Amino acid sequence: MRKIILISLLFVTNFIVKADLLGQTVPPCPAKMQGMAQNIDFKEYKGKVVLIDFWATWCPPCKQSMPFLNTLRNELLPQGFEIVAINVDEDKEQALRFLQTYPVDYEVAYDGTGGCPQKFDVQAMPSSYFVDRNGHVRSIHLGYRDSDQKFIRDQITKLLSEK
Amino acid sequence: MNIFYFRCLLIALFFMMQGCSVAPWERGNLAKKNMAITVNSGLSALRDHAFTSKEASQGGFGGSGGGCGCN
Repeated sequence: MRKIILISLLFVTNFIVKADLLGQTVPPCPAKMQGMAQNIDFKEYKGKVVLIDFWATWCPPCKQSMPFLNTLRNELLPQGFEIVAINVDEDKEQALRFLQTYPVDYEVAYDGTGGCPQKFDVQAMPSSYFVDRNGHVRSIHLGYRDSDQKFIRDQITKLLSEK
Repeated sequence: MNIFYFRCLLIALFFMMQGCSVAPWERGNLAKKNMAITVNSGLSALRDHAFTSKEASQGGFGGSGGGCGCN
C-alpha cells in the first residue's frame, strides 16, 4: 500500500493542471501594435474569423509559415478573415527588422514580456489559435510544416462558413 | 512525524522543484548558434549544412535548433 502511495505521489507532483482555452473567449493580454499605447483588444475582431499566431524571429517554422499565412489572409479577407500575429521576441527591434525585410499584410502585435503566451498557455512555437466570429477559441494548432497548410485552411474555411 | 510521510514529503518536494523549465516563448537565447552543446558551434553548423545538402541527413553535431520541439 505504501509503495502505491509513493508511486502515485511521484506522478501527481509531476503534473501541472493547464487551463484549457478551447471554447473560451480570447483572453485579454498585454500585446501592443507598433506605435500604439494601449493593449490589443480582441473584441474589435468580433464578427470575424481570426487566427492568432504566436511567432518569433528565432523560430524557423514560424518564419516558414508566414508567406502561406499572408497569402491565405489576403485570399480570405473579403469573407471576414483576419490574422493577428503576436511576436514574442524579447528584443522587439529584431522583429521589426525582420518584417522590414519580409513584410506581411496582416496585423502584428508585440509582447516581449511573455504575458500573452502565458495567458494563452502556449505550448510550442509557432502556435495558432483559431477564433470564431463570436470570439471563442475553437481549435489550436501547434508547430508548422508545409503539410499543415490543408488543415489550417480547412479550419478557417469551416469557421467562415458558420454564421 | 512518521518517517514514511516524511519520505513522501521529501519526494514530493524533489519533484516540485523543477526549476529549470524554459517556456516555449523564452527559447530565443537557447536558439542562438553559440548555445549549441559543442566545442565549435560554427564548424558544427557548417558540417550540419553540408550533411543536409550532400548526405540528405541532418543532426549529430549538436547544432543549435529553434527550440520549438514541434517540428
